[in-house]
Amino acid sequence: MIEVDRLTKRYGKTVAVDDLSFRVTPRRITGFLGPNGAGKTTTLKAVLGLVHPTSGTTTVLGKPYRELDDPLRRVGAVLETSRYHPGRSGRNHLRVVAAQAGIPNARVEEVLKLVAMQEPAKRRVGGYSMGMRQRLGIATALLGEPELLVLDEPANGLDPAGIRWLRDLLRSLASQGRTVLISSHVLAEVEQIADEVVIIHRGRFVAQSTTHDLAERAAGAVRVRSPDPARLREVLATNGMRIAESDEGTLTVSEGTAARVGELAAANGIVLHELMTERATLEEAFLELTAGETTE
Amino acid sequence: MRLLYGELLKIRTAPRTSLGLVLGLFLLVGLGSGATAYDADSTPFGRELALADVIGVLSIAPVFTLILGILVVTWEYRHGTITQTFLAIPRRERVIGAKDAVSFLAGAALTAAALVLALIVASFWISLDFERGHWELAGRMVFAAALWGVLGAGLGALVQSQVGAIVTSFVWFLVAEPLLGATIDALTDTRIPDYFPGNVLDRLQNTSSAVEVGSGAITTGPDYAFGLWAAAFVAIAYAALFAVLGLVSALKRDVP
Repeated sequence: MIEVDRLTKRYGKTVAVDDLSFRVTPRRITGFLGPNGAGKTTTLKAVLGLVHPTSGTTTVLGKPYRELDDPLRRVGAVLETSRYHPGRSGRNHLRVVAAQAGIPNARVEEVLKLVAMQEPAKRRVGGYSMGMRQRLGIATALLGEPELLVLDEPANGLDPAGIRWLRDLLRSLASQGRTVLISSHVLAEVEQIADEVVIIHRGRFVAQSTTHDLAERAAGAVRVRSPDPARLREVLATNGMRIAESDEGTLTVSEGTAARVGELAAANGIVLHELMTERATLEEAFLELTAGETTE
Repeated sequence: MRLLYGELLKIRTAPRTSLGLVLGLFLLVGLGSGATAYDADSTPFGRELALADVIGVLSIAPVFTLILGILVVTWEYRHGTITQTFLAIPRRERVIGAKDAVSFLAGAALTAAALVLALIVASFWISLDFERGHWELAGRMVFAAALWGVLGAGLGALVQSQVGAIVTSFVWFLVAEPLLGATIDALTDTRIPDYFPGNVLDRLQNTSSAVEVGSGAITTGPDYAFGLWAAAFVAIAYAALFAVLGLVSALKRDVP
């Protein structure tokens, strides 16, 4: 759906994006993650033909964005910098975009309903809250019923209810077979909805994996509690596991899986009261992945 | 067609600015036309020339169409809507082309409407006996103002900053061009300053050659280096030059 191939973008001496390559696969929600200033917006702008790459290429649906016919019917985008003429009403903003894309006005009313903005739509955008602007942006992106959505920090400015609404909306869009690329600097926003994540830092590729694998990769120790910790410790140690810490009958085991610990305990007739994998959050995985870069 | 419609819709749905421009021009033209027509008896060549002078009031129209053209492009950059526009129409030459065209058409329409207003106001004092020269003069006024709309759109696309483009154009027409022209006139005896955009516009809008009065043609008035057709050609060249410069700028630069 989206292919970024060795993309580099320099502004003067500043390198915003540095030899970045990744792909976004169809019919999935992909999170595009990185701290502020990592080059996410620049990358998305290059993908959408708004920024000229210094080198490298980007394609959307197999073509450079600029060569798409009727792009709004294929790709919907909300950019962080999406702004509006303050004197235009929300409805008129959508009508202008619809007119440019050859989309009938009836669709304007549909998307307004979809983002629950029928009421404020007649007012001037200048008086809108951040959340209303984001909703209007998403309505704009949905005008052409595109198969691909590119959302840059769409949760910014949304209140908790708004974020939940956004998550539900994206889930339902994905369930219709659409592809979503959603950027964020807050992992928690993406963690619950993304099937896959691409992580960049300082303009460079850091990692791409399924959300599940990333969490797994960060999955740390196994915590096990037994009334007989001394014997368990011995059994695990002889099987090559490291016991990171222990107190009051609880062992924290690294370099082993919960399954293996359970099997060994059963084979040796050791009673367990508790056995669990301490799941690191994506946040920790993310910090771990980007930490190496920052210390350079 | 849908690009033109979209651009027109943008002008129509930003009512305050658009309305301000329209009312500003109408007010000035109304007052100017009224004053000219009221004072018609003092015109040495009588009422035929007074009618030409009434039409001549429209020579301020290019100021407004220039600003209109600048706005048509720069308000998109100023408010960031250019991002959405380029997402909808990624072939930027189409966007800029549509903006040039709309600036021309809207400039012509605005000036034509102002002309109608000027004539209505003037009709209270003088009779509107149009001769061929009057029609031609009116046509030149509308055409020149429309061209200046394109010039504004081109300048807007080149500079991208709204304030920057408006200040640049005013500094050029009000300060730089007269100053430069005077300097060149003082130092050399070339006619180069006649080819400056402001002077070309002035030539194109000249009222004195419009009407033949009484016994002979009036050929008095400023002495120009070239005729009307040449002036029209040079004015078109200026508009085209800025349209091209604006297009190149829009194609080359990243969207902020």
